[in-house]
Amino acid sequence: MRHDMRSTTTAVLERNTVVREDFATEPYELPWAAEARFFVQALDLDGPLDFRTEISPDGLHWCPLDDVEHRIDAPGLITWAVSGFGQWLRVRCAVGPGTTGKLRIYLVGKG
Amino acid sequence: MNVNETALSKYNPLSRVLCFDRFDSTTHGWTELLGNYDGRGDLDTVDDHMRDFRPPQLSSCTFFDVGTHGTLSGNYALKLATRPYPGHTATGIRRLTMAGRGRVRIETHFAFKAEATVGHEAPASVPWDGNRHPSESQFGAFTVATDICSDGGLRYHNVIRYQNTNLDGEMTNRWMYPVVPEPTPRDHQEGKFALPYAADFTAPDPDDWRTFGEPLEMCVNEVPTKINWHYLRWDIDTSTRSNVELQLNDRVMDMRDVPVPPYPDRYGTLDNLLNFYFSVRTHCGVRNFLFLDSVLISVDW
Repeated sequence: MRHDMRSTTTAVLERNTVVREDFATEPYELPWAAEARFFVQALDLDGPLDFRTEISPDGLHWCPLDDVEHRIDAPGLITWAVSGFGQWLRVRCAVGPGTTGKLRIYLVGKG
Repeated sequence: MNVNETALSKYNPLSRVLCFDRFDSTTHGWTELLGNYDGRGDLDTVDDHMRDFRPPQLSSCTFFDVGTHGTLSGNYALKLATRPYPGHTATGIRRLTMAGRGRVRIETHFAFKAEATVGHEAPASVPWDGNRHPSESQFGAFTVATDICSDGGLRYHNVIRYQNTNLDGEMTNRWMYPVVPEPTPRDHQEGKFALPYAADFTAPDPDDWRTFGEPLEMCVNEVPTKINWHYLRWDIDTSTRSNVELQLNDRVMDMRDVPVPPYPDRYGTLDNLLNFYFSVRTHCGVRNFLFLDSVLISVDW
């Protein structure tokens, strides 16, 4: 029997994580997903954070998916869609000088 | 009989199947474990050692050297992956309740590995080769455990752990069990524990673990990207709150003498709790992975 209802999953990649320097989230596999979406929620923030989607063929070696940066510079929630990825995803974050933030980062996959 | 109907044939369930989770569809209720927090949703109030157990993921078991490996019976496994941080633990927990008391059986086909290291060298206690690979000693331990509460708030955990290496990274290959109950957020509130990040949440003091059975060498298979599926069957009895038997591939171990320490105090709001979790813990700064092809939980009530 074929099940036509789409699959979806939400992973909380960072949970109230305090950041003061550049970092990347842990590798996350979404081999089954046709599309994905990052949500970054800044609970506290006193400067800019710039995010880029990174992809990997093996979970070990990474490259940017595109040239797009996603900036958040005040408490709140931003999101961006991801498509055309290999099965590993992560997000790299550049933290501005002297900036401190507290983040939740979600990755949603849909197949 | 078509191939889908043969899926059960790799298992040996008791009379009633509670769940048969094949990860070619979804994560089937296996989710990340998180400690408790306050009424405002303030996750800063989660205990440090229980706030970062990492979300399970569906994996096609793909590696840098051979590409996609796949699973025992399909494309996707449930994968638990630690951070590359000594002591870090990843979990997948399944939350049920009990409609009776008696024998409970959890079965799985699983594989375990340390993450491949490419282009640099990670600390390891075994040399290469002679059929050995340094990654063999970069895997810490995996645990299968329960969280059960019954009979007027009596809470206990049946726990088995396969310790591949000790905290010094030396090969041990032992089955273990804890002689104390797991520290809880309530214990923390009552001032009994305050554990740091990456503490062993099942039983933090290494001296509170005992071995059972003889050392058991698993099929590591030489490099970090060759995975082989192991069969595990574990029986407990919730009518006697005891362990019964553990089977790993062709080895069966009687566990009736392995104690299950209950909490001294009663717990409320947990009536008939029947939780299972798998966890994987790294003892060095290398990610450790536990792959589950599928999981079957059955009972005799």
